[in-house]
Amino acid sequence: MTATVLTPLDLPRVPLEAEAIAPERLAGRSEREVALLPVQIGNATAQLGEFFRVRGAGSDEIRIDGDVSRVKGIGAGMTRGRLVVEGGVGMHAGARMRGGELVVMGDAGAWAGAEMVGGVLRIGGSAGDHAGAAYPGSRRGMTGGALLVGGNAGRELGGVMRRGLIAVRGSAGDYSGFNMIAGSIVLCGGAGRRTAAGMKRGSLVAFRSLELLPTFRYACTYRPEFLALLLRTLRDLFGFAIDARYVSGLYRRYSGDFAELGRGEILIWTSD
Amino acid sequence: MTVRLRIAGARMYDPLRGVDGDVRDLCIEDGRIVERLPGDAPTLDARGLVAMPGGVDMHSHIAGPKVNLARKLQPEDHRDDPQPRTGALRSGTGGTVPSTWTTGYRYAGLGYTTVMEAAVPPSGARSAHAELRETPIVDKGFYVLMGNNEYLMRAIARGEAGSARDFAGWLICAAKAYAIKIVNPGGVAAWKSRRADVRGLDDPVDGLGVTPRQIVRTLAAAAEELALPHPVHIHCNNLGIAGNAATTLETMRAVEGRRAHFTHLQFHSYGGEPGGRPSSKAAEVMEYVNSHPNISVDVGQVMFGPATAMTADGPVGHLLHQLTGRKWVNVDVELETGCGIVPYEYKDRRTIHVLQWAIGLEIFLTARDLWRVVLSTDHPNGGSFLSYPRLMRLLMDRAFRDEEIKKVKANGLEGTSLKDGLDREYSLYEIAIITRAAPARLLGLQARKGHLGPGADADVALYEDNPADREAMFRAPRYVLKGGRLVVEEGQLRSQVFGRTLRAAPSYDRAIEHDVRAFFDRYGTIQFDNFAIADDEVDRP
Amino acid sequence: MRLNGVFIEDTFAEAFAMSGARAVITGRTQAWAREAATRMTGFATSVIGCKCEAGIEGDLPADATPDGRPGTSVLLFAFNPEGVQTRIVERIGQCVLTCPTTACYDGLAEEPVRISVGGQLRYFGDKFQLSKVIDGRRYWRVPVMEGEFLVEETFGARPAVGGGNFLILGESADAALAAAEAAVAAMGRVRGVILPFPGGIVRSGSKVGSRHYSLKATTNDAYCPTLRGMVESALPDGVNSVLEIVIDGLTVEAVEEAMRVGIPAACRPGVHSISAGNYGGKLGQYALHLRKLLEGVPA
Repeated sequence: MTATVLTPLDLPRVPLEAEAIAPERLAGRSEREVALLPVQIGNATAQLGEFFRVRGAGSDEIRIDGDVSRVKGIGAGMTRGRLVVEGGVGMHAGARMRGGELVVMGDAGAWAGAEMVGGVLRIGGSAGDHAGAAYPGSRRGMTGGALLVGGNAGRELGGVMRRGLIAVRGSAGDYSGFNMIAGSIVLCGGAGRRTAAGMKRGSLVAFRSLELLPTFRYACTYRPEFLALLLRTLRDLFGFAIDARYVSGLYRRYSGDFAELGRGEILIWTSD
Repeated sequence: MTVRLRIAGARMYDPLRGVDGDVRDLCIEDGRIVERLPGDAPTLDARGLVAMPGGVDMHSHIAGPKVNLARKLQPEDHRDDPQPRTGALRSGTGGTVPSTWTTGYRYAGLGYTTVMEAAVPPSGARSAHAELRETPIVDKGFYVLMGNNEYLMRAIARGEAGSARDFAGWLICAAKAYAIKIVNPGGVAAWKSRRADVRGLDDPVDGLGVTPRQIVRTLAAAAEELALPHPVHIHCNNLGIAGNAATTLETMRAVEGRRAHFTHLQFHSYGGEPGGRPSSKAAEVMEYVNSHPNISVDVGQVMFGPATAMTADGPVGHLLHQLTGRKWVNVDVELETGCGIVPYEYKDRRTIHVLQWAIGLEIFLTARDLWRVVLSTDHPNGGSFLSYPRLMRLLMDRAFRDEEIKKVKANGLEGTSLKDGLDREYSLYEIAIITRAAPARLLGLQARKGHLGPGADADVALYEDNPADREAMFRAPRYVLKGGRLVVEEGQLRSQVFGRTLRAAPSYDRAIEHDVRAFFDRYGTIQFDNFAIADDEVDRP
Repeated sequence: MRLNGVFIEDTFAEAFAMSGARAVITGRTQAWAREAATRMTGFATSVIGCKCEAGIEGDLPADATPDGRPGTSVLLFAFNPEGVQTRIVERIGQCVLTCPTTACYDGLAEEPVRISVGGQLRYFGDKFQLSKVIDGRRYWRVPVMEGEFLVEETFGARPAVGGGNFLILGESADAALAAAEAAVAAMGRVRGVILPFPGGIVRSGSKVGSRHYSLKATTNDAYCPTLRGMVESALPDGVNSVLEIVIDGLTVEAVEEAMRVGIPAACRPGVHSISAGNYGGKLGQYALHLRKLLEGVPA
């Protein structure tokens, strides 16, 4: 079965809200039916077909062969299948997704993978603010799945994360792992300020040095076996390149955030 | 033009008139119920339906500063429960603390047509009225908080019961309130000043020398002397604390035979030692209630699921925050009271929550005089008012109740009479008492509310009888009329009307205002002249 | 039937349904992984006397373990999953948790029946333990003086086979031993099985019950060469020593494969014949017929 291909036409300046674009919502529909799916533009409801040319239909795989940086909510809440965007996406891409795979070749707007529950979200470019984070007021952010960012990430990456895995190849913004409850964040590049502020439990791993809050305390320098397991999973299962020296390397462990529960850790690579 | 409607053939449950399931026509003219209508009046075929007066919720939290703070505190409470704009209805948000419009719609959607906001600080009266004005369909009003009012406590400490009464009269009029509310008498003031609550009825409030007993006694007398439609409405000291049943019983004695309403009794019926594990004292408390006709109560049932604790009882808010670690709001309301808000969840796997649930049901199931026991969840403290239909089923359907009892963590039922089962099942007539007739009468609204006799407001709920699932029945009335206007048709909310704001207007000695003005000048942040609510601030034009 | 001139008796090994688990132990070096595995599988020869049977399945190269370090795979068997859990928790707790550098993983991730292992051992962490879910599997990190002990929360337990066996009837004790050693060496390459006895070999085969004592098992007098003439001996003339190889496996196929590999290796000069232990087929769920197993093996 071939993928349903959506080709963006002339997209409006006002962002389009298109949560309809998710594999399970397109599966089993004809081209015509897909084109009739509702999208929101401002306070009006429109049809998907007004903004996308639809080719092929019925499968669990969708390909968007263009840039949809002004389209919000692509793949939000998706539960299965595969959705590939050959460009950038707007805000809330893959937010609350539960399963399947969402691949964004370009950049993603804010709230990518926010409160995601499962599945894999790959962003080839950079992610905006609040990637994998909790929406305002929520007690939990990401609770499962994997969020993999090839470029940089914005502020509050993985805020209030409860479970799951986030990896960022480039640098992350301020407040990465803010109020983390548990879960794992791997930062291959640097991070901004106040990393893991308010962390209760969980692991934030950095291959570069970080500016640490005074409420984190140094524990020891060691080789965490779980980290080898985690990084090998990232490399072998998700194809996220990780240099061997990090997999089995020596890390400095800092416990914190003692302004909160203090059961979390920041692990900073020191040598192989 | 005269608007008439005959509701034909419904089975009526109208306890204030002793009607128990008789099939009668209901005649409506210009928003009121009348004896008879001309033969050509339009008819609504209600054969097979159950008719009850519109529901009356005498203790809920739907307007005022704390409700609005609770909305602001919890965007997550609203996000997944939008109320879309449809036809004449406005958009809004739901959750445990719905927006004003949605509150009105959802109450009406259950067949409730009168709702009282149970705790507004005097300085919050303006915002409460502004919100009530935007709360459609239901008739509404509020109780004004007095139990920790600085002026009042000083007057009581000086032994000036008359001044206290006149101040209460002035405050009811100035705030355009309906009744006197006491929350943790003296305790909030004590906690605000030195972070220590009062515990006993005779513990003096630090710095003032006044005791909870004096506050309760004075305001119970004031409500009587001012001839207020509703007696003093009391939230006792030590809410939620193990062993507080003793305080509750002592407070009931402290009104010295005067009429008094004790609210969310479930939260005040615990045995044990403070700081220790609570137990059920429902039997003991209900024995007192059953044998003292001056006392009325609402239950404050907890229902499993999300809730929002919101109270003028600042120390309780602090305690809940410490217990749960969840985000919270605490406010010192100048000279008047306190405020605590904490998002909360009742879980059937938590021993303490199961105990609270069981105690509430014990109160319902052991009440002898239902005219003094009213259904409430202290919305949204014990759970949303949207859980009322489920609660009604718990009361009406023993088999269902027993199934629910099996699902909960069993050790929470230890020491409650629920453990061995209580076989009482409420009838439709009895449900009509505790959700309509009794609260209307306790509020002094029995002339126009809570019944279906001539002269009553034509607030009517029509349900499809469903003995197998009372929850489904009460969740979706087939028709609801408010003031004779059909607002729910075929189970769908169709149109929106606006109810009235109910308020009391007692007479008092206006000489007190001179002294109150001086007090405002000296201590208040609001000018005395700006304090009172103007007529055009109440209700929509 | 003869293999390499050694007579194969027309009999069968009687094997039993058991429950088995696989623990993968890794360490900083192969030696430390092996050390923990050796300790963990000590005193685990017979489920009757030791509550479980355990042995080393084999060593694993670094690229075949979850954390990329050299490892050793251990199999442990008991009568049911509950028994497996109790014993594996005890043994990992005393022999792996304590052993420098090691970590311990489930080797039967696909099995639906789960037993709690790290879920029990975590309590050693006295609430300082941390959990981590990686690719849907939960691990516990228990702080220890050396650093951290990593152990998987649950292990799979699967229906397994215990008591596969064959007997080597030697013309001399030396010949029997040499044949048994050769068989063990050959069977070491088979995955999914262990040989729970010392060096993989047992010299004290037993019969059920006792003539004189209230014991569940006593010496298999019919096969004791020194008792020939005193009891009804099962030993042919010329046999002066018997050794047994017992095989436990995760599947009956693995046990059969081990026997198919082991028996030909044992067929050496000085071996009179190969037999197998059974109880007339009354007790065990599996009857592994020697001649059928060895069909197609070049004579």
